[in-house]
Amino acid sequence: MRRDKDIGIVIQGKRIITREDLFKAKERFHKEQAKLPFEEKIRIVVELQKIANNIRKPSERPGIVWDIDK
Amino acid sequence: MRETIRAINGLKKESLIEDYAIGGGIAAIFYIEPFLTYDLDVFVIPTQKEKEGSVILLTPIFDYFRNMGYSFKGEHIVIEGVPVQFIPADELEEEAVRNGKQIEYEGVETKVLPPEYLVAILLRAGRKKDIAKVESLLQQAKVNRKRLKDILRRYGLSDKLNNL
Repeated sequence: MRRDKDIGIVIQGKRIITREDLFKAKERFHKEQAKLPFEEKIRIVVELQKIANNIRKPSERPGIVWDIDK
Repeated sequence: MRETIRAINGLKKESLIEDYAIGGGIAAIFYIEPFLTYDLDVFVIPTQKEKEGSVILLTPIFDYFRNMGYSFKGEHIVIEGVPVQFIPADELEEEAVRNGKQIEYEGVETKVLPPEYLVAILLRAGRKKDIAKVESLLQQAKVNRKRLKDILRRYGLSDKLNNL
């Protein structure tokens, strides 16, 4: 019997991957992100703070965006 | 954030605290992928003279930064553009600070809590967002399981990990 994890997904051209491959790739991506230099991660945090403020409702108080260049 | 850390290091140089280490979300981010957070948690071991019975005085820290012209936002002190929360370390956190991992941020020395202690502190807090960080730490960071088990056993937290 074919299991869901073995179902092929076409992503680019003729390349076929399985759902399992997709989730493994996702996990790999998270692990790669975890290996970034600390300074780079802090820059990402600041970008996330900016994005969070931009999508905040007007009634909500904006969070502070760090000034890390000091 | 380099200048923030430099300013915090001043507390130790001025002997206003015995030691400190970065904890909370930013310490977790040192080991795992970045996520949204707004403050820098700093666990401090106060000097003996700031411990008066059951009261721990953080006033010297606040006075120090007030005199340097930094502003206050709720319980946070905004130091060089970063809101910092100073948390007096309890027994578990004090051990974590003493075993802190020495790191450099843009050439400035600081310490972050080791991942095993972060897991223990997060498990003890036990909110959904804390548990999510525990899971990320266990998946993405190099957590010494033997050391973690020992910490959890000594602080009565073993069941919290087993029940995940």
